[in-house]
Amino acid sequence: MREIVLAARDVRRDYPVAGEPVHAVRGISLDVAAGDWVAIVGPSGCGKSTLLNLLGAIDRPTTGSIAIRGRDVARMNDADATRFRLTGIGFVFQRFYLMPTLTAAENVELPMAEAKLPRAARVARARELLAYVGLGARADHRPYQLSGGEQQRVAIARALANRPALLLADEPTGELDARTGTEMIALFDRLNRDGTTIVTVTHDEELAQAARRVVHMRDGAIVDQVLRRPLADAVPAPPHAPGTAQA
Amino acid sequence: MSLLPLLAFAALLQQPAPRSITIDERLADAAGLAVGDRVVLGTTPGGAGDTVRIAAITRRSADPSEVARSEFRVRLHLDHLQTLSGSGDRVGRFAVQSRDGAEPSAVAARINASAFGFRAYPAAEVAIETSATFRVVNRFHRAIGVITIVASAIFLLCITLLKVDERRRDVGALRLIGMSRSSVLRAVVLEASLVSLIGSLMGAGLGWFASAVVNWYYQGVYTTPLRFAIVTPGIVLFAVLLSLALGVLAGLFAAQRLVRRAPLELIGR
Amino acid sequence: MMLRLAMATLARRRARTALTTAGVAVAAAMLLDMVMLGSGMRESFRGFIEQQGFQIRLTPRGTMPFDSEATVGGGAALVRAVATDPDVVTVAPLLGAKLFSRTPGDSVVSAFVLGLDPAVQGDYVLVEGRDLAADDELVVNASYLAATGRAVGDTVQVAAGYDAQMRRVTGARTVRIVGRARFVMLGGSERAAAMRLAAVQAMGGRDRADRLSVVLVATRPGADIESVRRRLEASDARVSALSTAAALQLVDERLGYFRQLAFILASVSLAVGFLLVTTLVTVSVNERIGEIAVMRAIGVARWRIVAQVMAEGVALSLVGATIGMGLGLVTATWLNGILAAFPGLPAAFDFFFFEPAAAFRSLGLLVLCGIAAGIWPAWRAATLPIARTLREEAVA
Repeated sequence: MREIVLAARDVRRDYPVAGEPVHAVRGISLDVAAGDWVAIVGPSGCGKSTLLNLLGAIDRPTTGSIAIRGRDVARMNDADATRFRLTGIGFVFQRFYLMPTLTAAENVELPMAEAKLPRAARVARARELLAYVGLGARADHRPYQLSGGEQQRVAIARALANRPALLLADEPTGELDARTGTEMIALFDRLNRDGTTIVTVTHDEELAQAARRVVHMRDGAIVDQVLRRPLADAVPAPPHAPGTAQA
Repeated sequence: MSLLPLLAFAALLQQPAPRSITIDERLADAAGLAVGDRVVLGTTPGGAGDTVRIAAITRRSADPSEVARSEFRVRLHLDHLQTLSGSGDRVGRFAVQSRDGAEPSAVAARINASAFGFRAYPAAEVAIETSATFRVVNRFHRAIGVITIVASAIFLLCITLLKVDERRRDVGALRLIGMSRSSVLRAVVLEASLVSLIGSLMGAGLGWFASAVVNWYYQGVYTTPLRFAIVTPGIVLFAVLLSLALGVLAGLFAAQRLVRRAPLELIGR
Repeated sequence: MMLRLAMATLARRRARTALTTAGVAVAAAMLLDMVMLGSGMRESFRGFIEQQGFQIRLTPRGTMPFDSEATVGGGAALVRAVATDPDVVTVAPLLGAKLFSRTPGDSVVSAFVLGLDPAVQGDYVLVEGRDLAADDELVVNASYLAATGRAVGDTVQVAAGYDAQMRRVTGARTVRIVGRARFVMLGGSERAAAMRLAAVQAMGGRDRADRLSVVLVATRPGADIESVRRRLEASDARVSALSTAAALQLVDERLGYFRQLAFILASVSLAVGFLLVTTLVTVSVNERIGEIAVMRAIGVARWRIVAQVMAEGVALSLVGATIGMGLGLVTATWLNGILAAFPGLPAAFDFFFFEPAAAFRSLGLLVLCGIAAGIWPAWRAATLPIARTLREEAVA
């Protein structure tokens, strides 16, 4: 059996909007095994981004539990959650959100510097990751010198910096044109084949089709799940996969 | 001779019809004297003196040269002081009133030419001489004013720049939908001018209030009716116009940074 | 990395950062000037008084030194009596009077003359020539030489009194100018001269016989000055005794206005510096709210965000304060030049007095203000709701 990296149980998230409670997520349970790639799809406002924030320990559920690698992220205090996000989870955002004042390599180094990795080690790993996402030659460019697709590749490299157990991506192709979006999907596919566990939230049908499993949400609940490419029981990660989680 | 040290002693000596003097309110306060009291005046401590009656208590005039002086002041009839101090028929100075329309400096020059042993000065010249302290303080205040203007200009420029930067994207969007550079420029300059106009009017109000506090405080400290800070319409006009000019300049500087960039650059694409 | 990020953020908006730094620099300069002004007059005056080397001044009761023409008689006996006090080391008697000098053009110039004992005087510093050695010698200042058209070495006719009407002098004698000096306590434009005490007394005839204006008293090191002062004042009903502290108190009262102004302007400068830094850092945080939310999302700790935002404020105020220090010294020289014309103060009197400790304290205060200015925006940045901010930023 594969290890269950993520186990969400009866997760609810309510928040008030203009005094009225909004039930953004209503009792979702979801398991994600190591090496899996889950795409969460659904109409706007169905709660998929809220769910992703909950899974990533950015937000806390009103009730329910979320265990990542056996640790209940729903009960962590802020400092622990922050630390966990740094080392346990990689985030990719729709709008890339690179630090405009830092170079591509420095952007990738940022989480490693925060995790107190020695300078030499983080410089080497940043180069390795940028080469992996196909930007080896552009390490010293600043975000404004890169195209949207290139910025998103840097953001992916940054997300993988501390070898997270889980890569979370919120509409990673949302800001990209069709061709660049296809390239991005190929990159995600390669990452997943190399062993990275991925959860994406998307409107992009092509991206959803590439995932192993598609979870359909409506009104804060899972309404359907489609298994597209089942995981083999044990696929060892290739030795060079930069995104592989540490054991 | 008015500066001659006159020491006052409360006394109960009875003498026929004593001469009268006036003292200032500081001396009255310090020595506990009142109108009608009798005191002995002398030119040396413990020496022989003359018993006099306090006829009045005076308040200092609004004379800049006297503000910082703390000595007591006694006024006597001229002949009385001449007798008391043994200075015969000598006087320290004369005050001369000229005919209406006469040019004081010409009168002074004529007096100086016609006799020797003294010198005549027009009152204006004396006023300049005696208000030296205030002229120095005035120059000092002007210098502080210059520094303040520099500081406020920088502050205003900084704030205008920040405000413009903050709305970079909005302006970019407006430019994209067809707003001209000159419209953007006008809008920014107008806004900066309004901010400085309103600010300067508020500042004038604050200045008026501060001047009232300053006057109240220092008139108490120096026991003088002299006004230390005066807000005149001219000063308000100067402040408002200066602020307006700075506002327009700051607006122009900030706006030209905005309009020389392409709309797409402004919205960060 | 965080420091690099903070500095890069400041460098990203160069015009804005430069302007804020300039604003802080002007505020710092003003603050420094006002601190220099606040303590300057007092320290400057203390310097003069201490340079004279006497701790107590005896004056005719109820008067200030040379504030009036009052004198006290029996000077020699008074000096002898004061000298018997076990804590008194030196007694320097002084008589101030008017001195009328004839110019080569036969007009008469009036000056202030100090009668003193050159062996124990602290009123002038010799610049040229030699000190007084005989009764018919005169030490004068530059203004005197300029007004009388004389030079060191010249012989000049001086008098104690002058009747302008009759053009007649009284108590005249011929003396030789033996030295040029800077008179410590007198304004530079005042014409001043010094003679031996006996000569000044003798020139005034009966009116000045054995009379003194001021008696300067130096005490034994370690003596309790206040108790000596009280003893001296109690020993003779004709005199008041004034200690250095009391003299400083008088200066404080006379020039209190400047201290109050200094305090108010210093406070305003601090407030302006604080406001500038707060505004800039707040706007900078607002602009980067998305970036900050992302940093928090990828696991950057709260305190690191706080440190980064505060580093911006500290850097701005540090650089501003450093520039402001130089600027402040320049403006202080300028302002001091303006106030140098203040009437009735010694020529070398400084309104602005640079005291390194006070200067660094004040600039330290400004940097503290810079730190404080960063607290609110930093806290806002650190506590922003990550999920909501990201959502709102995505919408924007």
